[in-house]
Amino acid sequence: MKQKAAIPIVKDIPRFDRQFFESGDVISLIGGGSIGGKASGLVFAHKVIQNNINPEEFKNLQISVPRIVVIGTDIFDAFMMRNNLYELALDDIPDDRIASFFQKAEFPAEFAGDLRGLISTVHTPLALRSSSMLEDAMYEPFAGVYGTKMIPNNQPDTDTRYKKLLEAVKFVYASVFFKEAKAYFEMTGHSLTEEKMAVIIQEVVGLPFGERYYPSVSGVARSYNFYAFGHAKPEQGVVDLALGLGKTIVDGGLVWSFCPEYPKTSPPSTIGDLLKTSQTEFWSVNMGKPPAYDPIHEAEFLTKGSIADAEGDKSLYMIASTYQPQNDRIVMGMGAAGPRVLNFAQLIQMNDIPLTPVIKKLMKTCEMELGAAVEIEFAMTLDPNKKIPPRFGFLQVRPMVVSDEKVEISEAELSSENTLLASERVLGNGVLSNLYDVVFVKPDIFKKENTSLITSEINDINLKIKNENRRYLLIGFGRWGSSDPWLGIPVNWGHISNAQVIVEATLPDMHVELSQGSHFFHNLTSLQLFYFSISHSGKYNIDWDWLNSQKLISESDNVRHIRTGKPLIVKVDGRNSIGVVTR
Amino acid sequence: MSEKGFNPFEMALAQFDSVADTLGLEQSVRDLLRNPLREFQFSIPVRMDDGTVKVFRGFRVQHNDSRGPCKGGIRFHPAETIDTVRALAMWMTWKCAVVDIPLGGGKGGVICDPHNLSRREEEQICRGWVRQMAYNIGPLSDVPAPDVMTSAQHMLWMLDEYEHIHGAHYPGFITGKPYGMGGSLGRTEATGYGLVFTIREALKELGIDPRNTTASVQGFGNVAQYAIQLYQRIGGKVVCVSCWDQNDQKSYSFIKKEGVKLEELQGITDRFGGIDKTKAKALKYEIMDGKIWIEQDVDILMPCAIENQITGDNVDKINKSVKVIAEGANGPTTPEADKGIKARGIFIIPDFLANAGGVTCSYFEQVQSNMNYFWEKDDVLSRLDIKMTSAFSAVSDLARKQKLYMRDAAYVIAIDRVANASRDRGWV
Repeated sequence: MKQKAAIPIVKDIPRFDRQFFESGDVISLIGGGSIGGKASGLVFAHKVIQNNINPEEFKNLQISVPRIVVIGTDIFDAFMMRNNLYELALDDIPDDRIASFFQKAEFPAEFAGDLRGLISTVHTPLALRSSSMLEDAMYEPFAGVYGTKMIPNNQPDTDTRYKKLLEAVKFVYASVFFKEAKAYFEMTGHSLTEEKMAVIIQEVVGLPFGERYYPSVSGVARSYNFYAFGHAKPEQGVVDLALGLGKTIVDGGLVWSFCPEYPKTSPPSTIGDLLKTSQTEFWSVNMGKPPAYDPIHEAEFLTKGSIADAEGDKSLYMIASTYQPQNDRIVMGMGAAGPRVLNFAQLIQMNDIPLTPVIKKLMKTCEMELGAAVEIEFAMTLDPNKKIPPRFGFLQVRPMVVSDEKVEISEAELSSENTLLASERVLGNGVLSNLYDVVFVKPDIFKKENTSLITSEINDINLKIKNENRRYLLIGFGRWGSSDPWLGIPVNWGHISNAQVIVEATLPDMHVELSQGSHFFHNLTSLQLFYFSISHSGKYNIDWDWLNSQKLISESDNVRHIRTGKPLIVKVDGRNSIGVVTR
Repeated sequence: MSEKGFNPFEMALAQFDSVADTLGLEQSVRDLLRNPLREFQFSIPVRMDDGTVKVFRGFRVQHNDSRGPCKGGIRFHPAETIDTVRALAMWMTWKCAVVDIPLGGGKGGVICDPHNLSRREEEQICRGWVRQMAYNIGPLSDVPAPDVMTSAQHMLWMLDEYEHIHGAHYPGFITGKPYGMGGSLGRTEATGYGLVFTIREALKELGIDPRNTTASVQGFGNVAQYAIQLYQRIGGKVVCVSCWDQNDQKSYSFIKKEGVKLEELQGITDRFGGIDKTKAKALKYEIMDGKIWIEQDVDILMPCAIENQITGDNVDKINKSVKVIAEGANGPTTPEADKGIKARGIFIIPDFLANAGGVTCSYFEQVQSNMNYFWEKDDVLSRLDIKMTSAFSAVSDLARKQKLYMRDAAYVIAIDRVANASRDRGWV
């Protein structure tokens, strides 16, 4: 059982006018057809702000949805049909070849002038995001599966800017047919030919810092927290913050998490752990020397910087604190020398800028309007010179799937002799009794430096299991889907597409704060998968001996695939975030 | 196919005189712009396939080059006259000026009927034409292009002859070349697409959604075919197409109320744009007299054939439903017909604005040829859209502000620009 909610379908978007970016309008449509799920979310977000946010209430913060132009799905249809791309795109060929063919295809002439007209009036970085018919819609969680491209758009001549814009649009179109998306379609039982893609062209919320352009804060807030800690309750939600572009959060990088009701409460870790698990790198748009020409690379114009770079940019204003080793304390601000810690303390604990109240208000309003828990994305600028007022860009809202089936798990079940594994940090809700296959990373020989290799081994096994039309329980170490191979196993969804239950565990050698990649987990929950986090030093553990004694189906250097004689019983109580797998 | 007694140059002069009065042009400017700067008339002897020698008459008129090198097509037509070429050269001057490209106006022609010529004979005419003109044309002075019954192949023969005479490569000498031989991507589509860009903008201005419109098209050559293609892509429905039948020496209209299918018609069309009647009938097209295209119950008329088609005689036959006339052809409407159209308040997109996509893309081709660096098609067509849309907006803004007929507004802008350039150069 799931709560039913969806972003209202939007019609009657104003037609694009070539002076759009010079006008005061917020949303405009090129072409026809649908605007897709993500764009509908933005239209909804805009209405939420218009109807519910009183600027007087939040005086020190400008709140808005950044301007967007949507390229309607009709244009995608015309692009695909006129260039005869379906046959090639549906073929089993590498992603880069698909992207390359799409780059050579012609953009529909009747709309090319609108794109050129648009780009001739804009000179700041743009984000090109997918907004598909199925993506972001309830039960059809394609969020994060398709490509997003950012372009610096700072070249002096219109021709180059136009070319880069068109390359980015074609890249987003091509990403519909990349391996990861294909795997997702298979999983959800849809046909790729059903999918239609709109593309959002949106100004990037940020400020220029030398050759980098980025927001001081990116954030994802969820009104229901599957991992509540301290005094916080699940329904009080959680906010993840990061410096720079939101890619850090989306990719499952190191971020700062807090409950908006308790912004002063740090995550439950020691100072040492906080230092190790706070953000050290950030993403920005590269405004400097053009990179090597590579239009089929999603991060072509993105660049990674360190906290020291950010300090040099002066962009740590209001978001960094300083560790004082002499008394083992983290002190708000950067008044003293010492290692910087990105805990956003000044921003979320002081009342100078009403970030937390704004987040709370937006989450509450969106929840009421949609009748379901929500996830929102935002970005903020904080000018260290205080010349430009702080700005809050509302970037996305989508409903979350929160299961309401009542599952009861007794204490005895959690620690019975038949328990394969149990956890008090579990995502999902429900009972499953038809699982025989387990794929696990070998704990005894696991090494952090092998995570990329492990990804490839898991992909092979996943493929075999998929061909047999089976599902499996997956166990690994660190964060699944982390873009940083030192923090976990850097799979994408395509690599683990037939997993039904996913377990991420820690080891003494892989002791990180467990996964938080918002797009990845929105998808997992919407697909009704179960997700367990198990700490090696926690109350419950994994019965490795039993796993090793089961029938071996296949084995690679780092991964083992076994099959049990009778089905595993998986029970997850989502209300209390506890779960157990009984053998 | 011009009506007997119709003189296009007189029509061009009448249009010019009327605008000159509106602009209050001084006599010297009028004298300069009423007549071509230069005219060439010459003979082209060709040994025919049967061994005889036939002498063809050739023309080149350079109307005005104050804004840049002359630009204009070369027509092969049995009824070609110097006055037709003069008129067309003058219209080219206005056309280049209205879309604001740095070129002047020219036009050329040969009195001949390619239907009765072999490819070798056509080649000899092309080469002969260039031999006569080789020192008075070129990338920096006068740049020819294809026109009625001339194609990319003719341009290549001409380029080859020109380069032979001058002993070097000059891809910018001529436009309309095939892609890969100095031609531009998008050139084939340019005139038809340009026409539809202006129709799209006109409909926007009238508050009409293109998806709710229908059209009747005269002609089924290159311009008409690409105009139909793009018009259908923006959601419009074409219900009638008319074209010339070479065998019957008359025109026919092909009607399908549910909308013509471009590709099926293209499949039964010869290289001059003539549709096969028998095959069309089998495809359930209603075949009627060629003149009936103008009477259709549609929103848009697109005359895309030749000059002098909407006249005082048939202007009243235009259906009451028609809201826009977009002139894909050069000079399809006579001044007398203009009065009727104006009185009925039909929104007209005048020829030298509506069909300027071709010369605009020729300009792009020339730029690319001179650089020997060629653009992607997306690039060419988006630039074309921007040029056409801005030109349309300028004309329609002026028409609205000064309550002018669209044709007059376009002339006012174009003639004013040329007059200013001529004054700035100190010519007048």
